[in-house]
Amino acid sequence: MAGGERIPGTPRYRHHLLKNPGTEPFFPNFLLKEWIVGAVFLLAFMLWVMFNPVPDGGGLANPQDTSFIPVPDWYFLFLYQILKYYPGSDITIGVVLVPFIGTLLLIAVPWLDIQKSRHPYKRPLATGGIVLATLLTIWLTNEAAVQHNAEVAAANGGGALSAGLVQLPKIPASQIHLVDTSDPGYKIFESQCATCHGQSAEGQIGPPIYAIGAHWNYNQILSFVNKGMGAMPPKGGLTSESQVEQVVKWLSKQKG
Amino acid sequence: MLKKAYDWIDERLNVTPLWRDVADHDVPAHVNPAVKMSAFVYCFGGLTFLVITTQILSGMFLAMYYTPDITNAWYSVQYITNEVLLGEVVRGMHFWGASLCIIMMFLHMLRVFFTGAYKAPREMNWVVGVLIFFVVLAFGFTGYLLPWNQKAYWATAVGTQIAGSIPLIGPYIQTLLVGSHTVGALTLTRFFAIHVFFLPAALLVLLALHFIMIRSQHIAGPL
Repeated sequence: MAGGERIPGTPRYRHHLLKNPGTEPFFPNFLLKEWIVGAVFLLAFMLWVMFNPVPDGGGLANPQDTSFIPVPDWYFLFLYQILKYYPGSDITIGVVLVPFIGTLLLIAVPWLDIQKSRHPYKRPLATGGIVLATLLTIWLTNEAAVQHNAEVAAANGGGALSAGLVQLPKIPASQIHLVDTSDPGYKIFESQCATCHGQSAEGQIGPPIYAIGAHWNYNQILSFVNKGMGAMPPKGGLTSESQVEQVVKWLSKQKG
Repeated sequence: MLKKAYDWIDERLNVTPLWRDVADHDVPAHVNPAVKMSAFVYCFGGLTFLVITTQILSGMFLAMYYTPDITNAWYSVQYITNEVLLGEVVRGMHFWGASLCIIMMFLHMLRVFFTGAYKAPREMNWVVGVLIFFVVLAFGFTGYLLPWNQKAYWATAVGTQIAGSIPLIGPYIQTLLVGSHTVGALTLTRFFAIHVFFLPAALLVLLALHFIMIRSQHIAGPL
């Protein structure tokens, strides 16, 4: 960095000297164009965020529930997959040796590739190496995801994921704020469903369903109620279809 | 008026040399997407920094409502998502931004690699970049536990067990991270502290080094 004192009379920034066409001052010319790139990027990012809610993490953490199949975030999957290839006493290789060598190689890149030329075609060994490493990482990530999905499907009895009711955490009835309790749907719920699911749908004999609308839409709840499951009779014991529809309509408004 | 204000400050703080170092330089044609469209690959580093900035800002706003203890963490995240004005958007930004940061950083790294931009005299900058990469991964690991949901809990339980299986120092690392025998209240507090104090401090220092080196070593010439 050039330091020093400000020399009186010198311009604060160099005037635009077009010796090389295409070059331009960083400030403000280039930065303004960069901002446009940034703005477009940010817009795309925000659109993605608006239309993709954060996935549900399976409710409040429960250390007693050992049936939960854990999986790391997608960007750790390749590391996770490497571990699977070194089970038992070989785990040291997977946990220490392979990541350590990988890290060392990555840090040492400038000293491994000491050729003067920079064009990727002029240094095939380096270019081939990074292409291979990238493909391997992508393959390991995909392999880990495929295996995890198969595990989850097997645990749910062969991919019948949607058949099971969403598991909401049990919370005290006083913390539940039901929406629209003046709705005729709630009156039916109170007289018919509350015996099992509780006055605030907090769950008693039946599971808690106070926020079922956050996970399932009207049609999903309707089909579940119509079919029934386990101790839950078809239509939940209600006699007419209009009664079921009213209750389901009210339930789908409960988003927790 | 603006010039007078600048001069007034400049006379007292002598900001002009600093200003010259930061902003007064020409950008070569080969990194200018306005000259050659394919030069957009040179934007990946800047866009990674933009994502990191949005992560810092959204994280600051999340910290206004988030409570890092095991009885309230999950409910505070539910509260942010369902009750706070635009809370769902801010949480979404922080959640998706983490993945986007990794993707942009990876693309930036590939660009640097393919253009051979790590070659002399820029070796140190590559090393600092790799360190930034590890710090960002650590952000991901520590941030994952904070919502205190099933996924977070079990992924962290497994992750810390893996750390514990390292020979000799493993158990010490595991104790340092977990804070007790099992993943619980102390783990959440530690991960929160690492996520919001230790790692941001490390990241800001490394980013400063990264940017200072870009300025002092200049942008590499065209291929």
